[in-house]
Amino acid sequence: MMRTLVFVLSWAFAAAMISVPLIAASPEQVERGQHSFQYWCATCHAPDAREGGRFLPGTASLKAKYHDEKPAALEERTDLTPEFTKAIIRHGVAGMPFFRKTEISDRQMEDIAAYLARNVK
Amino acid sequence: MAQILPPGLTASDFAKALAEFKAAVGEDWVFSSEEDLETYRDPYSLRWGDPDEYLASAAVAPDTVPQVQAIVRTANKYRIPLYPISTGKNLTYGAAAPTFTGSVVLDLKRMNRILKVDDKRNFALLEPGVSYFDLYRHIQDHNLNVWVDTPDPGWGSPIGNALDHGVGYTASPFRDHFGSHCGMEVVLPTGEVMRTGMGALPTADSWQDYRYGVGPYVDGLFSQANFGIVTKMGFWLYPRPETWFSASALVPRFADLQGLIEEVSYLEDSHLMTGQAIYSSPAGPAPGAAVSAGLTALMAHGWPTRDDIDTFIKKQGVPAWRVKLQFYGPEKTVRANWEYAQERIRKAIPGATFEEGELLRMPLTPEQQKTHHLVNFGIPNMAIYSMIERRESDRFNPPQGHVDFLCILPRSADAIFRAQKTLYDTQKSMGVPAVTTPFGGPITWYHRAFLIGAPTTANYRDDREKNKQSRAVFAAYIKNMAAAGFGEYRTNSAMQDLLVAQFSFNDHALLRFQERLKDAADPNGIISPGRYGIWPRHLRKEKK
Repeated sequence: MMRTLVFVLSWAFAAAMISVPLIAASPEQVERGQHSFQYWCATCHAPDAREGGRFLPGTASLKAKYHDEKPAALEERTDLTPEFTKAIIRHGVAGMPFFRKTEISDRQMEDIAAYLARNVK
Repeated sequence: MAQILPPGLTASDFAKALAEFKAAVGEDWVFSSEEDLETYRDPYSLRWGDPDEYLASAAVAPDTVPQVQAIVRTANKYRIPLYPISTGKNLTYGAAAPTFTGSVVLDLKRMNRILKVDDKRNFALLEPGVSYFDLYRHIQDHNLNVWVDTPDPGWGSPIGNALDHGVGYTASPFRDHFGSHCGMEVVLPTGEVMRTGMGALPTADSWQDYRYGVGPYVDGLFSQANFGIVTKMGFWLYPRPETWFSASALVPRFADLQGLIEEVSYLEDSHLMTGQAIYSSPAGPAPGAAVSAGLTALMAHGWPTRDDIDTFIKKQGVPAWRVKLQFYGPEKTVRANWEYAQERIRKAIPGATFEEGELLRMPLTPEQQKTHHLVNFGIPNMAIYSMIERRESDRFNPPQGHVDFLCILPRSADAIFRAQKTLYDTQKSMGVPAVTTPFGGPITWYHRAFLIGAPTTANYRDDREKNKQSRAVFAAYIKNMAAAGFGEYRTNSAMQDLLVAQFSFNDHALLRFQERLKDAADPNGIISPGRYGIWPRHLRKEKK
C-alpha cells in the first residue's frame, strides 16, 4: 500500500509540474467546487491565516513550506492541477489526513479540483 | 496486496456478505477496493505499514436505521466484525480504522441529520454523522440562542466525541461531552433498536430532558465500548451567556499551588466560576519559548527538590503560579463572583495578587474573534492542528500525525508534582528528551479532575522505526504512570489493551464483568472486537 501511495503522489506531483492542456470546467462545476471547498477545505485553507481569529493550519503549513514562492492560500494558486488536488484529498499529505468518499464524494472531489484549477494556465 | 478477509470467512462467503450489504445500502456505499480501503486506515497510526496495523476488509455506509439493522443481521449471519465510526475524525485515537483487522467499518457519516435543536429547553438531538461545524452552522443559520461546547477540532462528531469521553472548553456542565448527553438510540448487536432513558416510554416527549428513565442507567455501556451502534443521541446545550469575563490570581511560593487549587475547586464545585481554570507558572518556560539558562541549570542534576525550586523562583523574582479564571453569565454576577474569588484567595494565601482581564459581551464581534480562543465561546475551528504544522525547522519533513498521552489526576499539587516527575523519569529512562518540568500546569477540561500529559508524540507514515520508538515510549508512560496511580482517560487504539490491563483491581474484576456482558449482549462478537480491551469470547484467549 505504501508503494501505491508513493506512486500516486509522485505521479500527481509530476502531473502538477507539467503544463497539460486542461479541459475547461463549466462555470456550474466551478461554482459547486467553490461551495464544497468552503465546506470541506476552508476551515484549514482559507486565505488569511488570521482571518476570523482562526489559526488556519493548512494555510500556515503551506506558508512555511513555500515561503513566498507560491501563495499559501490554495484558492490563490495557479498551479493546482485536478490530478494533484484529487491525490491530496484521497491520500493526505503531512499532517492532513485523507478524506473518505462518505465525506467528500467523487463528484465533490472533481468539483473542488475544478475550482482550484480554474486559474491554471 | 492480498485481499483482507474477516477472520474465519472464505472469500466466497465474504462476497455473499458484501452483496447483502449492497442490497441493503446500494452499490455505491459498499467499499472494498484497495484504493477505497486506504481511506479507512488510521493516518496517525503508530503501526502504519507494520504487519500488526489494524486494517479493514471493507466499509459499508448506511443512511438509515433500518439499513444499519440489515447490516447487523448480515454480520451476525456470517459472523463478520463491524466497527462503527461516526465522522471518522477521532485522530490520535484511531480515526476510521478498526481495532481488529478484517473488520468491516460501519461508516455512519451519511447519517448526518440534525433532528432537533431546541433553544428553550436547550438541547439537540443528532445523528452520528453530524459534525460540530454542522451543528454550529445550523445554530447560526437559525439564529438560535444556544452554544455548542466543541472540542479543539471542529470536524468531529458530537456523538463520536462524547462516546470516546471527549471534552470541550465552555462552562463546566457542558465540557464533559458524555456527561452532558441525554438519551440514546442504539442498534443492539442482535439488530434490535433500543432507546434509553425517557426514550423507552413511547409516549414521552422528555427524551432529552431526563436521562435516567427507570431502572439501571445503561448509557455508559456504549462509551469506549462495543455493546451497540449509537444512531441518535441527545445533548444538553448551553444557553448563550451574556458575557465572558477573565481574570487571574497569582501566588508567590511554589507550595502555594495546593491552597490555590483548593480555593479554585471551591469556586468550581459551587458553580461560582464555571469556565476553565488555566494554571501556569510564570517561572516556567512560556509556551513555545526556549528554556532559560536558569531552568536548564535547575534541571541539570535531575528532578529538583522543592527547596531548589523555591530558590530558583526567588532568584527570578516572579510569582510561582498563576491561575486564569473564566466566568460566564450576566455582568453583575460575574463581577460579584470575581470579587468573592479574590476575597477567598487573598484570605487563604498570603501575598496573593490579582489581575483583572477583560469582559466581553456575547456574541463576539468579528474583530474579537481574531484574538480569542474560539472554543471558549463555542465556535468550532481547526486551530489545534497548528501543533503538527510545518515549522522552519522541519519545513520539508513535518510530522504526519500525533498521538496524545493524558492521565487523570486528583486535584492536588502533590499529584501534579509526582506525575510530572514520573513523566520526567520515564523520558530519562527511555532516552528521549526530558522536557517535563515541575512548572507545567494541569489541564482542566474535566472540572473535577486534572489531566497531565506528556509532550505530544509526532508520528510518521514513512518512518516505521520512529513509530516503533514512539510505541515503546508510549507504553512506558502508560505503565509507569499507572504504577504511580495515574491512568489515561482515552488512548490510541494500539494501546487500548495495555491501558485497560492497568485497571486491574481485584484481578481485573471490571474487565471480567464487561466480558460477561459482552458475551451475553453480543454472542457472535460482531461489534468492535477489542475496543478498549473488550474482546468477545472466541478471541479472548488469542488476544491475552
